[in-house]
Amino acid sequence: MGEVIVVTSGKGGVGKTTTSANIGTGLASSGHKVVLVDTDIGLRNLDVVMGLENRIVYDIVDVTSGNCRLKQALIKDKRFENLYLLPAAQTKDKTAVSPDQMKTLSAELKKEFDYAIIDCPAGIEQGFRNAIAGADRAVVVTTPEVSAVRDADRIIGLLEAAELHSPKLIINRIRPQMVKRGDMMDISDILDILAIDLLGVVPEDESIVVSTNRGEPAVMDHSSRAGEAYRRITRRIRGEEVPLMNLDVPDGLMDRLKKLIGMR
Amino acid sequence: MTRTEHVALKGTREGLVLYLDPQADFTVLIDELQRLLKDSAQFLKGAAVRCFGGEREYTDLEKQDLADTLKNHDLEFVGWLRAEDVYVPGKSSSNPVREQGVQRALDEGMTEGNCLFIEKTLRSGKSIQFDGHVVIIGDVNPGAEVIASGNIVVLGAIRGVAHAGATGDRNAIVYSFFLAPTQLRIADLVTRAPEDGGESRGPEIAKIKDNQLVVEGLSINGVKKLLY
Repeated sequence: MGEVIVVTSGKGGVGKTTTSANIGTGLASSGHKVVLVDTDIGLRNLDVVMGLENRIVYDIVDVTSGNCRLKQALIKDKRFENLYLLPAAQTKDKTAVSPDQMKTLSAELKKEFDYAIIDCPAGIEQGFRNAIAGADRAVVVTTPEVSAVRDADRIIGLLEAAELHSPKLIINRIRPQMVKRGDMMDISDILDILAIDLLGVVPEDESIVVSTNRGEPAVMDHSSRAGEAYRRITRRIRGEEVPLMNLDVPDGLMDRLKKLIGMR
Repeated sequence: MTRTEHVALKGTREGLVLYLDPQADFTVLIDELQRLLKDSAQFLKGAAVRCFGGEREYTDLEKQDLADTLKNHDLEFVGWLRAEDVYVPGKSSSNPVREQGVQRALDEGMTEGNCLFIEKTLRSGKSIQFDGHVVIIGDVNPGAEVIASGNIVVLGAIRGVAHAGATGDRNAIVYSFFLAPTQLRIADLVTRAPEDGGESRGPEIAKIKDNQLVVEGLSINGVKKLLY
């Protein structure tokens, strides 16, 4: 029996889809049978991030409305035999699926897969309710911005109201230099307000933009710092205890020069 | 809970006291009393009640009517209270907590009434509204609000909105271990937390003093010792 994990945030653009793609790929790379489910009907992205856009024939709405069998809609990943994607429909909207249908779908996926990662749309309306309906666990993604933390707080409250207890937190796009200067919220500021367990911290990394555009999740790129963070998050989801990544970036050449001549 | 405007039944150490609004018409009083007792008859059964009607003198007929009403609800009318017998907040003789050297948080404030206990953190989007006092064991996060007609006590941090004495009672207070609200309101006054939200200032109490909303550090004996 597998596990259904929903990745959610409330606010848009904090990295739900990137996180879903990387966690899913990371779990698949360590041998688990994984399915990624995109519930962002009407604004689908996960297929693009995974580089599988051109293989979509059927989507989640086709499955829930009985137009096709689940097996027909699942797209096998390019890199991993044991990784699948269930894409969202692009021409419909969130009301095309109901929470009850999602529960049925999740139960079906659990029989087949070790992990089902559900990419939740932004917002707290029907799309959100659909995404969390069948979930066993929740991962909340936030960035170190007051607005994102505020939305995450709201989402945690809604998750608790929906009996999805003890969600885990991922702090995305943190910039250690800015935190050090005191220009950005640090981890403890965020945990102070949200008061939930930390699943991982992902540093801001330009390679994410590149990997997203290419459709190759950063978790497979061993030179990417964000990729390293996602590898650690993946291991924590599997139940291992892994220390937080050291976020300090080694000084660049210019920094060292400046230090030498006493400019810093 | 029945809402009554002109009668109130309060428990004291010496038994129940029925307060009657001296301004109100007698038939209104009886009518409200009937409703109040109907809802809580089971709970109050057999209790002895003393009445207080302020300066107003009631006729013998009215007094009899009152005693009958009480009797109909299995309550025993035992007599009238005079103004000097009635508890006045802050009057030291009837207030055993107020001993020398102990600063009272609720000086002159509201000291009794309905109370709602909440044993969790209020997250963004959550709103609590209650006719009475509210005690929260947890935090009030930004984006959450607590509105109470009485006092608000938060055993945690207030970062959201708190409105005490929301129905206009300027005696209401807001108490918290860490007071950094988005906005703090007591009755009709509004204030914000200072911009430089310094951490760990310790427990604080907000109240109205001389028409102004003031925040004071709290130094009840013992509370400080417990926290530091």
